[in-house]
Amino acid sequence: MTVESGAPLRAAVIGCGVIAHDHLAFLARTSNGRLVGLCDKSAALAQAACDHYAAAPVYTDASAMLANEKPDIVHVLTPPQTHDAIVRQALAAGAHVICEKPMTGTAAETAGLLEAAAAAGRVLVESRNLLFNDPVLSLLETIRAGRIGTVRECDVLLQLDFLAGPFGDTNLAGPGVDLPGGAVHDFLPHLVYLFQELTDTKEVKAVHGRLENLSGNPRAGFDFLDVLVDAGEARGRLRVATDVEPSAFRVIVRGSRASVETDLYNPFFRYEGPPDIGKRAPLGQMRAGFGLVGAGLANLRNKIGQHGTIHGMGRMLEAVYSAIRRGEAPPITPDDILATARMTDGIVALGAAR
Amino acid sequence: MKVLVTGAGGFLGRAVVVEALAAGHEVLAMHRPASLPEAEMVPAGVTVVPGDLRQGGSWRDALGSIDAVIHCAAAASGDLPTQLAGTVLATENLLAALPSGLARFAHVSSFSVYDFAAPNWPAVLDENTPLEPRPLRRDAYTQTKLRQERMVREFCAAKGIPLAVLRPGAIYGPGKHWDYGKALAIGPFDLIFAPLSRMRLIHVRNCAAEIVAVLELPEPGETMINLVDDEQPTHWGYHHGARGAGAPVGLAVPVPYLAVRALGALAWLASKTFFRGRARLPEWLDLPRQQVRWRPIRYRNALARRLFGKQQVRLSEGLQETVATTLP
Repeated sequence: MTVESGAPLRAAVIGCGVIAHDHLAFLARTSNGRLVGLCDKSAALAQAACDHYAAAPVYTDASAMLANEKPDIVHVLTPPQTHDAIVRQALAAGAHVICEKPMTGTAAETAGLLEAAAAAGRVLVESRNLLFNDPVLSLLETIRAGRIGTVRECDVLLQLDFLAGPFGDTNLAGPGVDLPGGAVHDFLPHLVYLFQELTDTKEVKAVHGRLENLSGNPRAGFDFLDVLVDAGEARGRLRVATDVEPSAFRVIVRGSRASVETDLYNPFFRYEGPPDIGKRAPLGQMRAGFGLVGAGLANLRNKIGQHGTIHGMGRMLEAVYSAIRRGEAPPITPDDILATARMTDGIVALGAAR
Repeated sequence: MKVLVTGAGGFLGRAVVVEALAAGHEVLAMHRPASLPEAEMVPAGVTVVPGDLRQGGSWRDALGSIDAVIHCAAAASGDLPTQLAGTVLATENLLAALPSGLARFAHVSSFSVYDFAAPNWPAVLDENTPLEPRPLRRDAYTQTKLRQERMVREFCAAKGIPLAVLRPGAIYGPGKHWDYGKALAIGPFDLIFAPLSRMRLIHVRNCAAEIVAVLELPEPGETMINLVDDEQPTHWGYHHGARGAGAPVGLAVPVPYLAVRALGALAWLASKTFFRGRARLPEWLDLPRQQVRWRPIRYRNALARRLFGKQQVRLSEGLQETVATTLP
């Protein structure tokens, strides 16, 4: 299938759950793509998504949709354990694929899908929307400008009571998500790719820590992760916890000259470094205080304006669509995806070892 | 009749089970697995069916012999995906599991499906009032209840099942008091928006009795019935009555409906100006939702009165027992 550079990509969505609403919101406004089909095994959910965002044919059978609508690109937004078969199906139908994270349960499976995409000559991208969020972009800009020197440490700390949602809802049978790392695994790729991007590392030397089920909720599988990561020149801590409040997604990067910190749920940006160090440190604290007030006002505005934690999704998808239309490499490469899957494997192995 | 009651563990569902049993029906009460009643609390004549309509399971095997359904299950809160799962997906799964030849389907819908802007002055809302034509301007509850009602109506029409769509107002009773009519609380003051507008209250036992009574209606085909009590107090009157019954309410500060609408208009303007119309506004600032809750409207229940006769619980009695259950 050849996509003409002038034509918007014909897009199809498989899976009309929670995250689909962010993908469909993008498709409703982009000039780079046009929704041509929606598929969910629930006809009612697919129809609801269709009515909400855009009129497009609704299917409960992905094969029928791929055959009838011949999409240029397919968004695979189903539960992780179903990704492998659906991604292969979409690639076989000649479509590029954007797949929600985690694309698979293991690096070996991810490698298999990337090989299939390469063989089909199609782009396969695993979503990493947080890299396109405002606070992460600010961190990356600061780091790349050399303002914190050489990056030595990166902590990514997620605290979120996800057991209150479907991952921990014991009214529902079976696991909340069918992955080796349980519910933690569903969030883990975010933490790993943030660490890798912010420290500019791909591989780790060692991982030490705990992957456990602290709540006893059988549906969660694992609900707690706390690991120290040794990636050579860089090191860091990745943590997922459901038993502490308030909800926060804190990212701290410490370098040879300075440190920066932000939060992805209620963003602020704090820089601690020259010139406000030593005797001038109180000035830096005052500056941080004013910065916090400004961040509070901006967060209030963002909450009213529905500019939430997923706001990077549209930018990521726009970048991927643009790259495909121009025939360029997408901003998320197979090497990036595989590196994240390998490091995730190493962390999840802590749970398997228990 | 052998009757399946979905959402039997909910506020309304519990009362429906009691009324259905009292009316001589055999009841299959569907409860979510994580909140099953204690075995000794289940009366004779009631069989508990554990299951969650959001996914398949063994609950489907229990449905083979039922004569009728009272479908109470729905998600009353949460974001749109949560309510889509709890209301729309749940209903889709229920409909797919029902046996053929049902004698009656009683579907519990909601007043929220109506277009509250439609009635002309003097505004009266009844079963002939149009449904909300633009659900996206309303909340997730309205969107999902509209979709749920449409699915049930299409299903019953296709299968030839006699259907009663019951649209209750604000169901109150022990455990649910609708903030005794206040919109907001500021320190010791309770702001009573649109103090002279009527509340479309119905006591939970009145509501449950009318829902169960619909099983015996001779009407074939499809019937829409609004369920609301005869006594429709104003927001101010309800608040005053609650105070008289001993409810721990604040000092009432009435805010006229016109002032509420003016606030809504300002919020709309700010949304258009600063947020490209995308601002997420609370109910009390959102023009379409303001109308739903506070527009001066009379709620007609003539059809329900003709079909079901006199109601059991008076407002004063219902308020007394509601307040009594909230006191320490």
